[in-house]
Amino acid sequence: MSGDRSGDATDAIPDGGTVTEETAGGSGGSALAGLRERDDFVVVAMAAALVVFPFLLIDILGAVGDVIGISIGGYTGLPSLVLIYGIIVIGFNLLLGYTGLLSFGHAAFFGSAAYSAALFSQVVPSPILMVIVGTIVATLLAWPIGFVSIRRSGVYFAVLTLTFGQALYFWALGPGSWLTNGDNGFSGIEAHGLFLGAIPLDAQLIPVFDSYTVMYAFTAVVMLIAVWVGNRIINSPYGLIFEALGENEERVEFVGLNVFRYKLMAFIISAVFAGVGGAMFVIHEQYIHPTTALYWIQSGDFVIMTVLGGTGSLVGPVLGALVFEYVANVISGVSLPMIGSIGSLWRFVLGAVFVFIVWVFPRGIYGAFSDLGSRLLGEDPEEPAVADGGERE
Amino acid sequence: MARDTTALSRRDVLKASGAAGAAGLTGLAGCAGGGGGDSEYPAIGNYPVEGDEVVFGFNVPQSGSYSQEGADELRGYNLAKDHLNNGGGWVDNWDGLSGDGVLGKTVASVEGDTATDPDTARQSAQRMINRDNAIMITGGSSSGVAIAVQGLCQEEKVQFQCCITHSNDTTGSECVRYSFREMFNAYMTGQALAPVLAEEYGEDLNFYQLYADYSWGQTQQASMEQFFTEVGGWNQLESVPTPLGTSDYSSYLSDVPRDETDVLVLNHYGLDAANSLPQAIEAGLDEDMEIVVPLYNRLMAEAASGSIDGIFGTADWNWQLEDDATQSFVEVYREEHDRAPSYGARIAYTQTLQYAAAVERAETFYPPEVIRELEGHDYSGAGLGDETMRGCDHQAQRDVLVMQGASEEEQTEDKLLNIVSTTSRDDIGYACDAGPAAECELGEYGDE
Repeated sequence: MSGDRSGDATDAIPDGGTVTEETAGGSGGSALAGLRERDDFVVVAMAAALVVFPFLLIDILGAVGDVIGISIGGYTGLPSLVLIYGIIVIGFNLLLGYTGLLSFGHAAFFGSAAYSAALFSQVVPSPILMVIVGTIVATLLAWPIGFVSIRRSGVYFAVLTLTFGQALYFWALGPGSWLTNGDNGFSGIEAHGLFLGAIPLDAQLIPVFDSYTVMYAFTAVVMLIAVWVGNRIINSPYGLIFEALGENEERVEFVGLNVFRYKLMAFIISAVFAGVGGAMFVIHEQYIHPTTALYWIQSGDFVIMTVLGGTGSLVGPVLGALVFEYVANVISGVSLPMIGSIGSLWRFVLGAVFVFIVWVFPRGIYGAFSDLGSRLLGEDPEEPAVADGGERE
Repeated sequence: MARDTTALSRRDVLKASGAAGAAGLTGLAGCAGGGGGDSEYPAIGNYPVEGDEVVFGFNVPQSGSYSQEGADELRGYNLAKDHLNNGGGWVDNWDGLSGDGVLGKTVASVEGDTATDPDTARQSAQRMINRDNAIMITGGSSSGVAIAVQGLCQEEKVQFQCCITHSNDTTGSECVRYSFREMFNAYMTGQALAPVLAEEYGEDLNFYQLYADYSWGQTQQASMEQFFTEVGGWNQLESVPTPLGTSDYSSYLSDVPRDETDVLVLNHYGLDAANSLPQAIEAGLDEDMEIVVPLYNRLMAEAASGSIDGIFGTADWNWQLEDDATQSFVEVYREEHDRAPSYGARIAYTQTLQYAAAVERAETFYPPEVIRELEGHDYSGAGLGDETMRGCDHQAQRDVLVMQGASEEEQTEDKLLNIVSTTSRDDIGYACDAGPAAECELGEYGDE
């Protein structure tokens, strides 16, 4: 029975008093039915998108690529990878887009969950248990790191989180290699398939379409859960406080709320998402390396995906993850007829896309789409409510 | 606000379902053309190869610190592809290679960027395997990448031909059936370097090591300790780890006891060495002791060119070698690129031709048969005299070059190092149940 009063969220925010009221659990009854429909719609729309996603990415783009003679199609495994990063950045966005905290150390949670899941798989090779164990470890790690880092704000917070992440990276690469297998990478991960190994993860889901694997279906289900949970959070009074914190921390404090506690909670929640993603990553790749798991560039990638997709919108960052992974893994291998291989330029391409998006559409890809949609419908595009683009939908 | 979103989303759904319908039609159309393939062996990995092209995947660092090295590897690969299709270079001299493609199929290639990052490399290899149907993947300029990709290739039952990877583990504890290494390893560096240094600097010396704290650095320093102690009767004072990617080594270097240390070993590679070596020279350590870098590469020799005078190290191969194979490779490479190839290009070229030759001998692309052809294969004409691709760990048994940095007056664009000696493969290497090979279990061919 958490409140579904997001409809008047933007009105409520400037008035701290309303926020307190929300925390008390007051939830409106009259407009509930209409809003409920809209709330669930995000999940339903996501489900629909997930059904066609691999087909569009692999088969359709592949067919287009064959026609134009440039390999732009995806490959089996890419859709799952995009969703895994999508799950992570949905959580990351709760921290960056709503609460306004820029963490540069989320690879620590991603990586620690990945390694815990990998180690756990040596004992019990169950994908679902691996996700649970990974998530628990990431959560437990997030508490002390958050506890220390959140005491500082802005750049100091970012640097503190970065430091923790890098400490883990160097530990995993050198001294901790007895556990992580260091630079040789942790392989030999056995995820035996779902339902006690009855359904292997790399099996085809539907006989004809080999773009759909059981792993993809598994990832898609986790993704839907993530969207649903994220949606519940941002539409709850708790989520409203996150958003209020992003807009004006002092006011929230004056209202009498424990700012530290809410920030810590936002930090931990985002780490839970990163943990789920990390464990899923290991199940998907059956391999993990310190550079992928824990290096600061991974943390930076989360930030880029989130900003690219659109901070402050629930599913926007997923679009960011899609564009990022597509450029990194498909565009990087494209050879153009005259220019030749653009592999070495993929980071440049990504940078150009990033600059363009941030410059022209400060609210990210999602913001651009929703503005475009409104314009097509003949309505005024929504104005961002706050300067940092922390506006939802 | 709520109403707007719903309307918009409904449009989206309509559009999406329209797209899905169109997509479904295309999919069905594509299905009708699906083919089986007529071959004597069962399908495995990307076998059988359909059509009149066979795809090789060249997976090299194209961005990041090692992109120069990757670019040179790629030149080697493209030269190999060109020669396999049109003749020329070693293709004219090697048995079985026709200069008319491989088994009559034209060699095509796809390229990818490893970014010297194991997971990026795996994604790239995955794309080549799943989307582009590559029958063989090759490349990489670090052991982390090689081990990551060869693990994937073993799972996918696609051949992997290592490029630059020097860690013992590649053909040791992490070895796989589907991967072969032409390059030598840290263990062999120790074996090649120790006798030369013992003769040059004397016996009963004290040495001090710094090593990059990751798998390669760890195995490298262990091998150096083992052979310096055994061969020269030297005594290790201390071996200190430094984090990978350190840019300032002054605090580590200032801890080196100048009075006691006779030899300082910098177990750093590439850019790490390009930082640590000049800093050691600048700190004046070369006045009190001798400095050794175990593994030279062009990147590092260029970046530290002012500091390498007289510094010993090993290399895979060098264009200054005088044998026919080397000279013909250098010549064809120069024709195209106007400078001498680095050893990365030689390994790339060799590994591609080796795979092609094995396919010709096996008379099929069926991976288990190709692997059996490569295992225990004796060959020469790859620039290093007689070599054997050993069956028990897939490590080439070959000579190793001991190099010394050239003085600045001597240096040219291509010539940064001098060849001191070639240590014969009879004096280095280890049995299948010894050294790194003892830890190697290759895994399945896939047709058991």
